[in-house]
Formats: sequence, structure tokens, C-alpha cells
Amino acid sequence: MSWQTFLLHAFTYGILVYSMILLTFYLLIGSFSILETRSYLHKNSFTDYRMLASSSEAPTMTILAPAYNEGPTIIENVRSLLSLHYNNLDVIIINDGSKDDTLEQLIKAYDLYKADFYVTQLIKTKTVKGIYRSHNPVYRKLTVIDKENGGKADALNVGINIARSDYFVCIDVDCVLEQDAILKLAKPFMETSTHRVIAAGGVVRVANSCEIEGGRLVKVHLPKKFLPRIQTLEYIRAFLLSRMAWTRLNGLLLISGAFGAFDREIVIACGGYHTDTVGEDMELVVRMRRYMEEREEPYKVGFIPDPLCWTEAPSSYRILGRQRNRWTRGTIETLRSHKKMFFNPNYGILGMLSYPYWFFFEFLAPIIEFLGTLGIIIYFFTYAINWSAVVIMIIVICIGILYSIFAILMEVLTYNQYKQRKDILKLVLVAILEPFIFHPFVVWSAVLGNISLLRKQNSWGEMTRQGFATDKKSR
Amino acid sequence: MLTLKTHLYTSFIIYWDIQTIALAGIVILMVCLLSFMLLYMLVKASHEKKHTHWRLISDSLIHKAVFDDDDRIDEEFIQMTLGTINLKKNKYFRKLLTGEIISAKKNITGAAAENLIYLYRLLNLDKYAIKNLNNLRWYVRARAIHELTTMQISGLVDHLHLFTNDSNEYVRMEAQSALVQFNGFEGLSFLDTVAYPISDWQQIKLLQLLSLLPPSTFDTAPWFQSENSTVVVFALKLARNYNRFEQHDAIAKCLDHSEPKVRLEAILCLNEIYTDETSDHLIGRFLKESLKHQLAMIRVMQTLGTERDILFLTDLLNHESDQLKLDAARALVNASKNGMASLEAYSKQSEQDITEIVMHIKREMSV
Repeated sequence: MSWQTFLLHAFTYGILVYSMILLTFYLLIGSFSILETRSYLHKNSFTDYRMLASSSEAPTMTILAPAYNEGPTIIENVRSLLSLHYNNLDVIIINDGSKDDTLEQLIKAYDLYKADFYVTQLIKTKTVKGIYRSHNPVYRKLTVIDKENGGKADALNVGINIARSDYFVCIDVDCVLEQDAILKLAKPFMETSTHRVIAAGGVVRVANSCEIEGGRLVKVHLPKKFLPRIQTLEYIRAFLLSRMAWTRLNGLLLISGAFGAFDREIVIACGGYHTDTVGEDMELVVRMRRYMEEREEPYKVGFIPDPLCWTEAPSSYRILGRQRNRWTRGTIETLRSHKKMFFNPNYGILGMLSYPYWFFFEFLAPIIEFLGTLGIIIYFFTYAINWSAVVIMIIVICIGILYSIFAILMEVLTYNQYKQRKDILKLVLVAILEPFIFHPFVVWSAVLGNISLLRKQNSWGEMTRQGFATDKKSR
Repeated sequence: MLTLKTHLYTSFIIYWDIQTIALAGIVILMVCLLSFMLLYMLVKASHEKKHTHWRLISDSLIHKAVFDDDDRIDEEFIQMTLGTINLKKNKYFRKLLTGEIISAKKNITGAAAENLIYLYRLLNLDKYAIKNLNNLRWYVRARAIHELTTMQISGLVDHLHLFTNDSNEYVRMEAQSALVQFNGFEGLSFLDTVAYPISDWQQIKLLQLLSLLPPSTFDTAPWFQSENSTVVVFALKLARNYNRFEQHDAIAKCLDHSEPKVRLEAILCLNEIYTDETSDHLIGRFLKESLKHQLAMIRVMQTLGTERDILFLTDLLNHESDQLKLDAARALVNASKNGMASLEAYSKQSEQDITEIVMHIKREMSV
């Protein structure tokens, strides 16, 4: 056997084996997500959240919302946060050295004064320039922190230092939360006495083209633009299938930085958010899990499938590319920091399943896909085309489409946010087009993410948003 | 170019047959999923029309029961409203009607609520719920208990008591809530026997249900001895909420419990139920506790600290935890009439700079 033939066979069978394992994971994820979602929906039918909304026994929660140059929308966003239904709730806005008038707007709108405040340095952070409270008792829940610019992770750490609650909820200040979002997110922390729930996440949905009024979601629409629409499908797939399945196994590694609740005591014990990574949300969850595993304390990371948080998805390839580049770097940095857990039985599911899955199918998948496609192109032009590899590739693409269609079916059977039949058909069409139009771009962005990391480019990447108001006007 | 074409064609034919089956299988699966989804949406749309009609019928029955005081709902009216719908055979309608009645019942009280219960029984819906108590699926059993409780079908209390120790937590929770709703504080008797943990969520629910009842006498003492630590925690919450001052010593004993959650709850409980000796109990155990519990203790000292505790609290101003220092300073200020002056005096003479703490507390006091 010549080395070329050997290489060709190794390439083909390597891809075949990889695809088979991936397919097995898809099947498992689908099955587990059905079981977990069914179980959640049954349990939720007995839950009366009104009871918690008024109870003084409910655990104390603090919303931490870092803000950087959010001047145009900050007033509405804070008003929306202050109107959330939850009795024991505080809201902390952290102005992370904004260059615009974010702080001035807040001071004016909420009648703030600079308060003498003793800041406890439980986690080391950049300097806090001032802490503001309101003269108006209506806003007694609100605290605004002004600090030197240090990035999202540093801003959240300041918030953790100042919060006094048992739990904190970190959100992106421009996200729109459902009124009962905190009630629902608080529940997992109270449900079990045998395990300590260290964190809980909720579903994030795409808000582009939705009707937003006064910081509240009024009506859900499928995004009009192609790029946000395709991300809608992506979010459904990720949240309704993948995260639900991993929750079933208690192997969830990621809680979205846009919306997640954490046990403050454990976070402080772990040292808070790491400021030297762009994937601080995933890194924190992994570190918290590792901390609990090493202390052999029973714990859980909860996740609830209700659509609780709505965010604006990037609608240009430039911004989307930056986001995916950053996500890739964040994943690699996290996996690298915790490589000790890789196939380490001491870490149970975390070491034997969750970490390897993320390594092989989140970190390596885009690289393998990129090299596979490149290989097929090279073989094509050197007359050594291996049709077996091509057909395997077609099969993998079809499985991907099948998986997306299954995700849409799950959405229809459960939360059914897009009521019109034509919207569902549009999503199906998007599922069919995705592998050819969107997916190659995502793979390419991930490859660029790897290159950026090798070149030690560690920037966050500017995330310009159009804002919901623009969408509303366009309707 | 021709060579490339020929090569591609021949090699394509060789490999195609082997994998066609796999590809075809996936495509068939895809078509099946899509067909199922479309069919589901069509069926759902058609059901929506039917459900709208059923909802109108349900609303009509509920409206008559709730608002027509003079003319109580009877079987004739029910038959006339139901028309051709057979309640026995049509379980979907039965489920919808039951749901509507339950939902209405939760929002009304008094005579209208009595009339709804009457309607519920007249329709024999309680029989179906009772039958469901033995269903193998946990959520059917739990729903049946919930339904019977909401509709105040009280003859089953003894039977429901058995479910308070069910292996399924939701069945258990519904049964425990049912007992409290039917028997008030006496319903808490399940705490004597429950072997499974009572989650924080369930404890909040039970306290909420009890808050709707007039205060009554009940003995928490036996529950402090329970081997189930969640029962002890709940008993402490009961003692705190219902000001059981006579239980002070039993509560103080819980400060030595092996379960940290019980100890924490006991500390919080002593914030409401305290005597002159309470701070001694806390100070005596302070060094043995974790920082979290120490912070809770110092926060309690803010309420019950006296001049006797000033020395202890002043020492804590040198503690390594900033949070504890701040809380100790607060407690110090509250411990005597001249607390603030004492703190300021200490600040001036101390080597440690606590100016920011003093400013912080001054600001709090001015609000």
C-alpha cells in the first residue's frame, strides 16, 4: 500500500469514525433532552411562582449588570430590571469605565448620590471610583457602581464583592428579561436538599424583530433578516437540545454569560471570574464544578428550558465573526486551564464525558471539518477523489439538517414561540440552508479563533448592536 | 479535462452503492420528522377550534355556578350546556373542564367557590381524580391530589396522609400541602414521620399556606429531635415565624447540631427568639463556626447585642475578613446608646484604619 493510499484510507476512516461518534452523541443528546424537557414540564405544572414572588423566605438574589457605553438605552434597561417580579431582589449596575454618558444618565434619571461605601475586596478587582444610591426610596433596590475599565469579568467581580445576597444573576444589560425570569431561575436552588445547586441557567432567545416596549418583550416574531434567523435556529438547538441533555446527565459546562444565576459563596471561594480569558462564563462554571468535585461535595448545575432572556443576535457577518472567534478562544482557554480533568475519572462525568465532548466536538470539530473539506478539495484536483469521504460528508450534512429539524420539532412541541405555520416552515428552510451558507462561515470564524489564540490576540472584539428600537421602527 | 471527468464518474459509481442506503435512510427520517411536525401543527390547529368551543361550554358552566346565586346549577342545565359531549368518554374535554374549574376556584372564595365545588361534584369529576390517585405515573397522582385539595374533597385526608412519605417528591409535596390545607396546623403531623428531605421550595410553600390560617398552638419541640435534618430546619422556621419564645433553649441546642444547615437556621431563628443569654450562646460557639455562620451570628448580634458584648465585638474589628469587620462595627454601634461614638473613638485610637467602615455605617444610619 503506497503512503498516498494509506493517507487516503486513514483520512476517510478517521472521518467515518469521528462522524459515527458524533452521530451517537446527537442521538443521546436528542433522547436525554426529550426526557429532561418532559420531566421539567410535568414538574413545572405544579409550580405556583406567585407564591415565591411575595415570600420573604425566598433566597436573596442580586442582578449584576455590567454596562459599557450603554448611554442610549441604559435608562430603559434599568427600569426593566427594577420591575422584575421577585421580593428579595437587588439590582447592581456596574459602569465599567464607559466613555459615554452612561453614568450621568443614571445619576439624573434615578436621583443618585455618591454614597460612602466600604467595599470588601473578596475578589481582587480594579479600583472602584464610586458607589451610587438613590435618594428616592422607590429605587432602594438599585446600586450603581462606577469603576475603572477592566472588562466584563472584572465588572462582575466588583458586583460580587458588593452584593450581599446568597445568589447573583449576571446578565447583559441590554438583554430583555421576562417578568418572571428571576422567579423561575431561583427555583432550582431551592428544589433539592441532597445536592447543592451551584449555578442555574436559562434559555436565551433571539430578540431581533420582536416587539419591545419599555424594556419589555411584547410580541415574539421570527427575525426578518437571514443571519439573526439562522441564529434563532442555532439557539433553539443549543438550548433546547444540548443544554437540556447535559443537565439530565449533570454534565453542563456552560451557562450563558447573558443570563445565569450563581451561588455567591462558591463563586467567591473559587476566586470569582477570571479576567484573563474571553470565555469567562464557561471558565467559571468549569472551575466551580472542579472545586466541588475536588471537595467531593454533591452538587448540581441546573438549567431550565423556559425562554426567559431575549438578546439581540449579530446581524452582520463582521460582528458575528468576531463573536464566534471570541467564543472559540474562550473554549480553548477554558479547556487548557482545566486540562487536568481530561479523561480523569476523579472528576466523574465532568472528566470522563463533558470535558472530552467539548474537546472533541466543540473545540476540534471546526478544525476537523475545515481540514476534511480542504482534503476533499485537494483530492478532487489531484484526481485522487475519494467518493466515500464525499458521501460521508453528505451524510454528516444530512444528519446535521435532521438534528436541526428535530430541534424545531421540540420547539413546536414545547414552547412554540413562533405560532405561525409559515414561521416554522421558514425555520425548516433555514435548517436546510444552514450547512451551506452559515455553517462554513462559523467554521471559518472558529479556525480564525484558533489562529488568533496562537498569535496571542486576546481582544474581546467590539460588539456593536443595532438596538431593539431600530427593529421596532422598521416594523 | 475529459480525463478528470471520466475518473470522477467511474470512482463515483463504485462508492455510491455502498452508502446510498445510509443516505436514503437519513432522508427518509428527515421526511418522517417533517411530516410528523406538519401533521402535529395541522392537528393542533384543528384542535384549537374544538378547544375554543369546549372552552365556551366550560365558561358557560363556570359562569352559571359562580354568578347565578338565585338559581343553583343543576343536572338539566349541565346536560343542556354539554349537548352531545359525553363527559365519560371524552377525556380531553374532561381534562380541559377540570383545569378551568380548578383555575377559577383558585381565584375565588366564599359562596361562589362553594358553588364551583358543587359543580365539580355534580359533574362527578372527583371520581376521576380519586381513581387517578392509584395511577402509576407520578404526575397523574400528584395532579389528582392537587385537584382534590383545591376542590376541598376532604373525605380522603387519611388516604392522602399515606402519600406524604411517597418516594416521588412531587406526590409527596402535594400530599403534604393537602394535609396542611385540610387540617391546618394539625396537618403538620406528617413531620413526625416523613423520612425524605423537605426541600426549601416546599418549606416556603408550607409556610405560605400556614400564613393564610389563623395562628394556632402547635408543638415544635418533637421536630427539633427529628433525624431528618430538613424537618429540624422547618421546625426552626416555624418557631421563628410564630414567635415560639418558649422554645428558646431547644433552639439554642440546635447550635450544636451536626448539620451546618440546621445550625445556620438556628442562628437566624435566634434573631427573633432571644433572651439575655442568647449572645452568650452565640459567642461561645463563634470560633468553632465557618465564616458564613460567623457572619450570620454577627448579624444576629446587631439585633440582640448589649454593652456586655462590646469587648467581643471590638476584637472582631481586627478580623481578617472585611465583611466581618463591617458587620461587627454595625453590631457595635447597635450594642449601646453611644455605639457610634465608641466606634469613632476606637477608629481614632486604633492602628487599623477603619475610617471607611465608620463612614459607611454613618451613611446607613442617615438613610
